Amino acid sequence: MATATVTYSRSRSTYASLRLAVLQFLADPQWLVPSMIAPVIFALVSFELFRGSGPYYLTYAILGAGMMSMWGQTLYGSGWATGQDRVFGTLEPTIQAPTPYLYVVIGRVLWNVVSGLIGGLIVYVVIVVSAGSPPALPDPLGFALLFVFTMLTLASVGVVFAAFYVYTRYAGFIQNIGEFAFYIGTGCMFPVILLPFVVTPFALVLPPTWALDALRYLSIPGYQGFGWGVYWDLLGALGTTAVYLAIAGVVFRRVERHVLEEGNLSDY
Amino acid sequence: MAIANVRGPATYHSSFWRTLWTNAVMAPRTSLGFMRLDFVLGTVFVVPLTQMAFFVFVVKLSGGGASEIAFTAIGNAIATVTYPSVFSVCQTTDSEKQQGTMEHLLVSPTNRLALYLGRGLIPILISLATAAMGLVYAATLFGVVIPLGAIPALAVSVTLTAFAMVAFGLLLGGVALYLRTSIILGNIFLFVGLLLAGVNVPLSDLPTPLQWAGYALPLTWGLAGVRAAIAGESLVSLEWIWGAVALAAIISFGLAMSLWEYFERRAITTGSIARF
Repeated sequence: MATATVTYSRSRSTYASLRLAVLQFLADPQWLVPSMIAPVIFALVSFELFRGSGPYYLTYAILGAGMMSMWGQTLYGSGWATGQDRVFGTLEPTIQAPTPYLYVVIGRVLWNVVSGLIGGLIVYVVIVVSAGSPPALPDPLGFALLFVFTMLTLASVGVVFAAFYVYTRYAGFIQNIGEFAFYIGTGCMFPVILLPFVVTPFALVLPPTWALDALRYLSIPGYQGFGWGVYWDLLGALGTTAVYLAIAGVVFRRVERHVLEEGNLSDY
Repeated sequence: MAIANVRGPATYHSSFWRTLWTNAVMAPRTSLGFMRLDFVLGTVFVVPLTQMAFFVFVVKLSGGGASEIAFTAIGNAIATVTYPSVFSVCQTTDSEKQQGTMEHLLVSPTNRLALYLGRGLIPILISLATAAMGLVYAATLFGVVIPLGAIPALAVSVTLTAFAMVAFGLLLGGVALYLRTSIILGNIFLFVGLLLAGVNVPLSDLPTPLQWAGYALPLTWGLAGVRAAIAGESLVSLEWIWGAVALAAIISFGLAMSLWEYFERRAITTGSIARF
């Protein structure tokens, strides 16, 4: 008997997963809160607090709230990237499919990145309208490129969270109780060097901390962040992101094997 | 064949206190959101610290001095009660719908006042613990001076705030009976208070329409009471603020009861809004 050859495309799976994530976002708008509503409120609060503190504090408010928008999507959305399969009972069928599960999750995480970006854009518009003028940016193109790079570092954290959440019942706890801790740890609204030194090693474990510091060096003249400067920041961001992606790959392979051998990850 | 003695329909009187107690005990295990032990401990010990630290560092970066830091620390210490009071309580409706118990609840003869008041009791206690922990952090980590003599007035302010906030959470829960989910509503009010209730920025610094919106929130009045108590204001001025907080609680709870009654009737008539 001839054996049927299964052909599959990883990119098509990622695209389908991304498309479904968009549709689910539109059908269940609760994700508007972490990605768009909360950051706008944080932006307005920080704008009020920074008011009159100089032209570059506008950049602090926009960058900070924009980052929080993306963090919100990473923390909540990426956790749901695998959590939804357990709730809907689709974890085993999805993993039985020929496409590696990681490519399905990447599609969902990509949408989180895009919706976080949209949130960042909304934050930008709200702050510019409130301030009456755009922020002073010495290098707008570099800023835009580095901003996208910062998002990618966050996406790498999202993929690790998505993998890690399969093995824990505390995803909700990490998301809801740890939210502000992540904002502080990555220095969303202020440089990490303002925090007690003991926090720094924990902050440096997170790729966005490095990327955000580099972004501030580029966009805020006279900025005092980590003493090693922008290029080491970028290198650190690249290195930690690579480590995160490697960890995510290993964990997802383990998840797949676990599901195929035990079939009990849906019990949560 | 003996014929049973048929009487009129039995009258069922549900005990107010039993309903109140049963709901106080059962709601954290069944319908209130975020009531797992780890969430409760995180809400009481972690959230106040991280939220306060976040905004205090923003104030430091903007060049704020000790008074601005104290303002922000106190504001956020009290604002964190929104998690156990508003966010958790408003989810009771969602939980009932999700678990499929809403229909049973709607047709039960249970006293509604006891039912909803009972559900709010544990959140009130957790709110008190959260606010107390926040104030401890404010005094020990952020340099806020709380005179010993101010503690009785502070206790009254915090207690009234907890009651008012839980009543507001029940009000949102009432609105959520009509909505598909209360999560968005709860989340919005979780964050809106940070801007409109004088938590981080004095209300007078906001545009007039936003100030009016802020005055409609119980957190604004509760926070005013807490700030006034710490500042050692006279009992007369405190009584006015306490009156306002109590009024906010009564209005919120009254509106919650009215909304529940209206939507319950609508749910029973249409049979369409009790499902998730």
